Amino acid sequence: MNMESMMGNPQSVKISRVIQETPIIRTLEFHIDTEFTFRPGQFLMVWIPETDEIPMSISLQENSALELTIQPIGDATQKMCSLSVDDWIGIRGPFGSSFDATCESALVIGGGVGMAPLRPLVYTLLKQNVEVVLLMAAKTQTELVFRKEFTKLTSSSFTLEIATDDGSLGFKGLATEAANHLMANHVFDMMYTCGPEPMMAALHKLSLKNKIPLQASLERFMKCGCGLCGTCSMDPTGHLVCVDGPVFTGEQLSKFTDFGKYHRDAVGIKKVF
Amino acid sequence: MDCLSIAIANKCCQLAYYEAVFNSFQGDQLKIQGYWLASGILGVTASTMLRVLDSGADAVVTKSIGLIQRKGHSGPVLAVSHGGIINAVGLTNPGIDTFEEELKVLRKAKAPVVLSVFADTPEQISTIVERGSKMGPRAIELNLSCPHAEISQIAHSPDLTSKYVSAAKEVTKLPVYAKLTPNASDYVAVGKAAQDAGADAIVAINTVRAMKIDIQQMRPVLGNKVGGLSGPPIFPIAVRCVYDLYNALSIPIIGVGGVSTWQDVIEMHLAGASAIQIGTAVIENLSVFSKIKEGVTAYLKEKGYRDTSEITGLAGGLSQ
Repeated sequence: MNMESMMGNPQSVKISRVIQETPIIRTLEFHIDTEFTFRPGQFLMVWIPETDEIPMSISLQENSALELTIQPIGDATQKMCSLSVDDWIGIRGPFGSSFDATCESALVIGGGVGMAPLRPLVYTLLKQNVEVVLLMAAKTQTELVFRKEFTKLTSSSFTLEIATDDGSLGFKGLATEAANHLMANHVFDMMYTCGPEPMMAALHKLSLKNKIPLQASLERFMKCGCGLCGTCSMDPTGHLVCVDGPVFTGEQLSKFTDFGKYHRDAVGIKKVF
Repeated sequence: MDCLSIAIANKCCQLAYYEAVFNSFQGDQLKIQGYWLASGILGVTASTMLRVLDSGADAVVTKSIGLIQRKGHSGPVLAVSHGGIINAVGLTNPGIDTFEEELKVLRKAKAPVVLSVFADTPEQISTIVERGSKMGPRAIELNLSCPHAEISQIAHSPDLTSKYVSAAKEVTKLPVYAKLTPNASDYVAVGKAAQDAGADAIVAINTVRAMKIDIQQMRPVLGNKVGGLSGPPIFPIAVRCVYDLYNALSIPIIGVGGVSTWQDVIEMHLAGASAIQIGTAVIENLSVFSKIKEGVTAYLKEKGYRDTSEITGLAGGLSQ
């Protein structure tokens, strides 16, 4: 039993770059000194000194540079967004399951900061010559993450679609409505999603209706990241989001009674979405 | 069939009948044997506890539950050092009344569950044990020794331990187990006090006080700075404690601390453990329970024993 590796080989790294993605969302870049590889969908446990340790999806790797993309919501993410170059964070991982990129024509749907794990997935899919339609959804235009990056992406296999709740850019309406339109005009053999769980639950229903397999990345309160604390357990199967997820298939999601309905908070009390 | 064969056959039927009656009479009584999930690992939801039982655990011990919800320490709550894990979760729990929902699911599934509880005073222990006993667990484990919370001092004192155990015993008919700490200088005296106060078994050991400092950031890793070490490095400490307690006490010892293989399990039985709890080792895989059982079965067969009760405490000691 190699405890170091099962705990994700913890190491401390210094922030090397801070990128302002939207008025509130930031990306932190840092370099890692060991041979590190990850698969899109996997996450790191990130120690923000004197604050907390939280799970964060890896939003990109380029050689030794890793990126995390953060929306300030709680204490830990707010502190992360206030960090500057040369500040320390601790990381361990990567943990969890990843997106299976085996398909020919993919519909990728990201809601808000849920784009983070989907960004490396899109690049992996394109590398494997998969036709990709990326539907980027947010409440409003300014909250679209990586919009410039994907607008600039020129590939004959890639199409960018945008949906905003307020119609400030692209399709006016919810991600599910936009996805429904896209599915009427394209033939997809796989759907990938990450974002608010009610959105993913609606997309799950859509995938069942259209008989297209789905993979979704879930978020639950997590303390250990490696299958020990049990905080991120799903009902009634006891699947752990940290080791069995965070990426689950539509078939798995169908068995979860809490998916799209409730999650448990820091102390284990059920909270309705 | 000759008379002797008939007599033997009758005797066998009779024995089988008595065994059946005995088992049904035992009902929900949890036998102190086999391999259980230790408290603090995966014991938060009914769903995961049922999954652990499906994976081969003979019983599960819940995460320690208090009277009211408690957030615990801020993260990191885990650090790794020298092959072990140091945790300072800080008794995070939703409180006994909310936890009843999980216990209901377990009771419906007839799951062998031990409810682990903690409290700041003997009066509070009475309240929570009384309330928790009605929620269907098979036994109560008193966490008297979490090394990174305020209650850490209870199991350092025979007097305090006695008060907490008595307070629990007065309000429940369920077996009460006292979980002790190896951090106490005289844990045998503490064990005796628990036994004298009516404890039905001793659980030994809780985690060992420890610390991890990050040499790049030059600061302690854990949010609480100090935590409790679990995993393989504490196994020899647990063996010593189980051995000492077994030889000083007459109530069963439930061994826990760093057990991860069937060889560890055998060693702990030989030291004096009747049942053994497994915690940190589930990080590798939940199949640890079934793997351990396979190894134990093969070992017992090879050595000519039928049951682990025959090797409990066999490594020697005063009470032999």
